[in-house]
Amino acid sequence: MEVEDGKEKEFSLYYVKVEADSERGKEKRVQNGKRRRERNGESTSEMGNETVEKKQCRAVRKEGEKHGKRAKRKNTGQDDAEEGSNKDKKNTKNEKTKVSKQEEEQKRDVKKKKKDIKHKDDANHGKSKEPLEGKNKKKQETVFESESKSESDSESTTAFEATDDPPVGLLGSLTPEELEKLKEAVDERKKLIGTLRGKPWPMKKKLTNLRESQEFVEKYEGALGKGKGRRIYAYKVVMMKKWMKFQRDFDNFRTACIPWEMKIKEIESHFGSSVASYFIFLRWMYGINMILFGLTFGLVMVPEALMGRPYGSIPRKTVPREEEANAMNFAVLWDFGVQKPTTIQMFVARRDEDQMKEGFAKYSVLFYGYYNNQRAIGWLKFRMPLSYFLVGVGTVAYSYMVVIRTMARNANEEGGGDDTCFNFSWKTFASWDYLIGNTETADNKFASITTSFKEAIVEEQESRKDDNIHLTRFLRVLANFLVLCCLAGSGYLIYFVVRRSQKFALEGLENYGWWERNEVRLLEPSTVEILWLNEEKNNRNAASFTNTQVNMVMSLLGMFCPMLFDVISGLENYHPRIALQWQLGRIFALFLGNLYTFIIALMDAIQLKRAEEDIVKKNMTIWLANLYNGTVLDNSTAAPITVHPADVPRGPCWETMVGQEFVRLIISDTMTTYITLLIGDFFRAVLVRFLNNCWCWDLEYGFPSYSEFDVSGNVLGLIFNQGMIWMGAFYAPCLPALNLLRLHVSMYLQCWAVMCCNVPQERVFKASGSNNFYMAMLLVILFLSTLPAIYTIVSIPPSFDCGPFSKGFGYVSNPGLVLPFLLLLVLAIYYLQSTSKTYKRVNVELKKKLQAQNEENKKKNKLAALKAANELEQARRARDEPRNSISDPDATQQRSSVDRAGHHRHAGKNGESIRPGPSVSSSQTTTRHTASRGYTPSGHLPGHAHKPQKNLTKR
Amino acid sequence: MVSPAIALAFLPLLLTLLIRYRYYFVLLYRAVLVRWIRDCLTGMSREERAYQYILTHATPGDSQSILDTFDQWCSKVEFISNIGPKKGKILDRLLVENCPLTVLELGTHCGYSTIRMARSLPIGARIYSVEMDERNAQVAEKIIRLAGFDDDMVELIIRPSDEVIPRLHEDFGVERLDFIFMDHWKRCYLPDLMLLEETGLIGEGTIILADNVIFPGAPNFLRYVRRSGIYELRIHRATLEYIRGIRDGMAELTYIGIK
Repeated sequence: MEVEDGKEKEFSLYYVKVEADSERGKEKRVQNGKRRRERNGESTSEMGNETVEKKQCRAVRKEGEKHGKRAKRKNTGQDDAEEGSNKDKKNTKNEKTKVSKQEEEQKRDVKKKKKDIKHKDDANHGKSKEPLEGKNKKKQETVFESESKSESDSESTTAFEATDDPPVGLLGSLTPEELEKLKEAVDERKKLIGTLRGKPWPMKKKLTNLRESQEFVEKYEGALGKGKGRRIYAYKVVMMKKWMKFQRDFDNFRTACIPWEMKIKEIESHFGSSVASYFIFLRWMYGINMILFGLTFGLVMVPEALMGRPYGSIPRKTVPREEEANAMNFAVLWDFGVQKPTTIQMFVARRDEDQMKEGFAKYSVLFYGYYNNQRAIGWLKFRMPLSYFLVGVGTVAYSYMVVIRTMARNANEEGGGDDTCFNFSWKTFASWDYLIGNTETADNKFASITTSFKEAIVEEQESRKDDNIHLTRFLRVLANFLVLCCLAGSGYLIYFVVRRSQKFALEGLENYGWWERNEVRLLEPSTVEILWLNEEKNNRNAASFTNTQVNMVMSLLGMFCPMLFDVISGLENYHPRIALQWQLGRIFALFLGNLYTFIIALMDAIQLKRAEEDIVKKNMTIWLANLYNGTVLDNSTAAPITVHPADVPRGPCWETMVGQEFVRLIISDTMTTYITLLIGDFFRAVLVRFLNNCWCWDLEYGFPSYSEFDVSGNVLGLIFNQGMIWMGAFYAPCLPALNLLRLHVSMYLQCWAVMCCNVPQERVFKASGSNNFYMAMLLVILFLSTLPAIYTIVSIPPSFDCGPFSKGFGYVSNPGLVLPFLLLLVLAIYYLQSTSKTYKRVNVELKKKLQAQNEENKKKNKLAALKAANELEQARRARDEPRNSISDPDATQQRSSVDRAGHHRHAGKNGESIRPGPSVSSSQTTTRHTASRGYTPSGHLPGHAHKPQKNLTKR
Repeated sequence: MVSPAIALAFLPLLLTLLIRYRYYFVLLYRAVLVRWIRDCLTGMSREERAYQYILTHATPGDSQSILDTFDQWCSKVEFISNIGPKKGKILDRLLVENCPLTVLELGTHCGYSTIRMARSLPIGARIYSVEMDERNAQVAEKIIRLAGFDDDMVELIIRPSDEVIPRLHEDFGVERLDFIFMDHWKRCYLPDLMLLEETGLIGEGTIILADNVIFPGAPNFLRYVRRSGIYELRIHRATLEYIRGIRDGMAELTYIGIK
């Protein structure tokens, strides 16, 4: 939007100036003004056509100036001194103007008009609309001096006065007539610029016209400026232009400051708003992750790195001895702690040797286990465990807050109500997506609008026939059944894989043949991960559950099932917007199933680790006893025993394991996304593009074609990714940073991929409504991902030798404390939800009320118009009678009421074709001012009855 | 190496592809497999089989009956890529609207479109129908004669199109072509169009109708037409003949000349 605005501003500098003080109803006012001008032109039509035109131009110009001035004053807060000087000048000029009768006559009319317009402006600002005509007439009767006086009361008339000045100086060579003509031309151009937007011209013509007019005005306006008032005016104009330009530049600058705004706009213009909505969502997500990252980085990771005990000081901060050899290997670091055996190793090495090694990254601030349980660290006495806990809570709380707030805001925008009532008019007037700037997309949109029309007509017919509905229903049920089958199948597949890998892991590999062993080793390197190596190596079968196979199956299913759903949804024959929501819902279910399978398996793994931990605890005492015994035997003096921290045995630390799993999941997810992007989009596009020259059918239009951007899948990927971040962030503080990186990269990558290798969707549609749908899903995911996190924190005791809570976690794990918190959360969500619902309902009611009022007003106006028509007839009859009726107060009264109604009538000649929908506010002002009507003398009737009045003035 | 679970995970992909491209599979089956099997079984070419069917089922001399029988055979028995009834209607309409006197048809195949065109042409009009394949041309000739159109109405030329076009003026005395229907090899659309331009047989108002520009498709042809600017292009969107789900279209070009 901003970009567009900027452009518009560029188009119509003056136009904007005119509207500077009121943003709403821009065009309307301009049109009204024009109309009024026309009316006034008619009213003074007995004067030569030329003069009328001139006056019109001047009036327009005045209006523009006035507005500009007002705006300027508003903006810059101009002082009154200038004003005063202007007034003086004006007075002198007024005297000058008395020189010739003819001029005076003209002038008076001009001023009248000026007044007129000024008052109209006032009316537009909500003060009064009615007294226009009345004042006008009064003006005609009052003396000239008083007029000038009232003039000086009013603001900003300098420029006009100056216009009538005899020209001096630079353009002195021109005759006054020529100058006048020039001025007229300039005014004409300005007027053109002002009303250009409403003209029914093609854009090209508008643009060329605008350029020409602007150049012309630019060239001659400055040249016209001479004399003192002129100079100030010119100065003002220049300043105004500068200011406008600055504002425009500033707007552009601001747009440029919004990250990726231009990219998104470009995509929007090519692909329609549904694709753009994904990128906007991505950007929003990026913002949230930025904050999460700031919290964890600033309050947890940096203090620990700076002020905590350094690496190698205590066991939990040291890489164990047996892992030291491989700790810095890239493969190890890459996998965040767990090394995958290389293929050569796998086939050559004996089983005992390809033990899993843990890398350097595991023993760093990136993971939970590194943190110390010291109460306060560093010279700041930074309370690390507390900070860690509060950051964990804070990230979740902040996320809730943001998501709910955004939802509430979106709900307000939605408005609700009966939008389906005017199906065809919506389609006619509102189906074009104005942001489309690409011909192909426009073609598609065009086609989709036509088809939607056809469909709507068919639908309308069928809703009357009402026979095919059973087939549709059956197909929809069938589709849902198929989708459910698919979901169940994929769930079972994952379950099967997880169980199988667990079986392998638990029973050891000896019982299986070479084939299965290798399969497992290749696909599940971490199954053989040995977490704790004690002397007997008896814990070998305790293995981590996750493995590449599970991950791979999960991501493959996550990739292919949505495609299947998409195909199935073809059965249902929904509108694409609804189809998108169904698709989203289905993929949501699929992903949720995957995620929860993952979590359940993770819980199993945690149980295993905890069992292991018990063994370690026992061994620890034995180890300590051995240590003490040994030293006591060696050395009789009780010297402090120093053991290098790398040699100290330690527990498995399930928290770090959980963190690692999440990190690995995120990374594999990201990789899958990017690889899919590369293969599915890029290589396909390359193949299609270059093979098309030597293929027997048209690849671009026909079978493989280019891919479309999959909005639903991408959005859900993003949402679930975020869910994993929320879940794992407590155990791996590095997760938000990682996610930030991922989002950043995918922003650029996906922008590029969309522009480079996707084609616009065949059915482009507006996706304004689905935004809150995304948010709702995000909220659900947030809730569902906090549940397991809270469960693990509350129910599972922390490891004894790693992490900030290794001393115990009593006050948090107390359910009495956690439950009220959860309850509070739910209550808050419920409260906000219900308030927003109430607001929505109120909105809808208000809408209905407005509609009802509008209709009532229509009726009222019709009645009034009828009445006015009658009275017009009466007035005509009255005109034939002697003219003394004007002095009659009754008649004036009557006429004024005629006038009131006649204000709608100028469009049609005799009140036959009445403009149907005057806005509510205008009719309200109409009624409000009836009271003050009594003493105002009646104005002339615009159409017919003004002639006698004119005559009267002349007399 | 690949575990059954991972193989199973590819099942949805397979299903998706199967469902999404089912029409193409049907086409593959009908146009390639069935044809091959029948060829082996009967020892006749597809066109000859079609001719036999028409001979036994249609009324001789009644062009509508022959066309209907053709359609029936193509949709029920075997597949031949004729223009089909739906796109045929567009063709009929164009001919009736423009009343061309000299018509060039590239790609007679079985004569379906020739009969269709000859039916709706005004008296005195003449069709030059070009077919490269000898056997097809024989069948086509038989069918056309069966429909009751003689040599004056339909002139069958058995030669490749790129040889015929330059010699149209000399050999057949053609001064100007009013209507050209292209339904031969999709690759030949563009070179043939250029040849036609060179010979100067195309004048202002000549209509060129090219079938199957979307599937199998003639992208180069369309691109050239769009860029050249001497044609007014209109694409009639329809589906492939006798198979519902495959989108196809005919390109209608009107020569407007260089302006």
